[in-house]
Amino acid sequence: MKKRIIKKIDTSKRNFLTGSVTLAGVAAATSVLPISFANANHKDSSPKGLPDFISWKDRNALIVHSDKGIETHRSAIGESLVTPNRNIYIRNNMPTMTDTQIGNRNNWKVSIKGVKNPKTFTLAQLKKLGHTTMATILQCSGNGRGFFAHKVRGSQWKTGAAACVLWTGVPMKLVVDACGGVNGDAVFMTSAGVDHEPTGLDPKKAKVERSVPKKVFKDAMLAWEMNGVPLPNAHGGPLRMVTPGYFGINNVKHLGQVAFTKTESTVKYMKSSYRISPIGKKGSQYPSCWEMPVKSWITRPTDETGTVKAGNVQIVGVAMGGTKKVRNVKVSIDGGQSWKKAKFVGPDLGKYAWRQFVLEANLAPGNYNLASKASNGGKTQPELRMENRRGYAHNGWKDHSVNIKVV
Amino acid sequence: MKIFKVFIVILLFSFPLTINLKADSEKMALGLEVYNNKAMCGACHILKAAASEGNIGPNLDSLKPLEEQVRAVVTEGLGVMPAFGEEGLLTSEEIDAVSFFVANSSGK
Repeated sequence: MKKRIIKKIDTSKRNFLTGSVTLAGVAAATSVLPISFANANHKDSSPKGLPDFISWKDRNALIVHSDKGIETHRSAIGESLVTPNRNIYIRNNMPTMTDTQIGNRNNWKVSIKGVKNPKTFTLAQLKKLGHTTMATILQCSGNGRGFFAHKVRGSQWKTGAAACVLWTGVPMKLVVDACGGVNGDAVFMTSAGVDHEPTGLDPKKAKVERSVPKKVFKDAMLAWEMNGVPLPNAHGGPLRMVTPGYFGINNVKHLGQVAFTKTESTVKYMKSSYRISPIGKKGSQYPSCWEMPVKSWITRPTDETGTVKAGNVQIVGVAMGGTKKVRNVKVSIDGGQSWKKAKFVGPDLGKYAWRQFVLEANLAPGNYNLASKASNGGKTQPELRMENRRGYAHNGWKDHSVNIKVV
Repeated sequence: MKIFKVFIVILLFSFPLTINLKADSEKMALGLEVYNNKAMCGACHILKAAASEGNIGPNLDSLKPLEEQVRAVVTEGLGVMPAFGEEGLLTSEEIDAVSFFVANSSGK
């Protein structure tokens, strides 16, 4: 049957997909987000089992939902606080730009608008403006979607669409200062990528342009290094916006413009995508995926790491405060019936990084449900998820708990 | 006589099967047509069965989505992918056909 139905696509009709076509509804007849996946962790056809553009990653650390949606195993997000680049998840709305498309990295340009003196900087010029390093959590808005009970389209992330990253670049505040300051009537900082340009798709539907409250610029940065190496193309190189405490989508990759605007961007990725709406409803009236909530999860032991030997067990995990510093985290070994305060360990990399925690427990043979519950002072993780249409912003502790068997 | 009875039995059982195969074949053909032309899925997806090499959305040969998953995403859209059903860009028959086609041809 297959041979009979094979028919070459008429590539001349691909012009149909460019922004100028009349049937706008079909203009962006494309799929970017991976759909929920029946056999996650499949092997890509390449020898290493990973798509070519990230063949440098550690296959054993990753769960492959699709060639465009790749998650870090719960036990592989980094036992040393920072997540190694080779283990970090992949979630890109547009195809990763190639070296050829990027050209000379030092000549990469970013325009700054909505300021007293609008300017365009090359990457080389940005490097002369200032220099800093900052740790932040990079987390997909849909991290935890795989725990939702209703059928949610999109990659079924559990805990691994998150990473703690050391970014190096220039503080956005210095860039703004070099442009004479923000225009008085600005309400939002709107960042736009250029990774849609090689596709020829309608920018209204394909451009990743995200508005966040203007205040974010004070802590934001333009990053060209990620964990000590030039920002990989797959993670938005050569230049990326970093919006600390805000969900991953706001950390715009392949950055081409930052504008201080009176209104939010009207592209699809701002107006209708990434909205936290009730199940069965959608629209731009619902909150956008901006600030990340307080959250934690256990990384060892887990059901991934096999049975646990009875005796003293180190229960290890990570806790983040969102836009506030995480203050404490409690651990339960009985499914939330009782809690003990865990100890933060390792260096404190600032309020936008996660803290590692550990609780030593003496476990007899048996089955245990291990849970963690973090607090940032003002807010504590709820027990249950906030139900929503697209499975965003899950921070309920119950779903994130793990079952282990001690022998 | 016995051979004749066996023949009748085989005929009775194979008749619905033949009809189903024909229906499936027609559905696959319509699905391919929708995939290639009306919805132009191939501009963004890799699928060997349609000889398509788009690299914007996920590789369908690797993804191997279930029919119901294709139907959901084609109907409601996702990211830059239009909501072909909700926006009236495809009929329900076309959505059924393209979902059937993708689910039954991906990874093969």
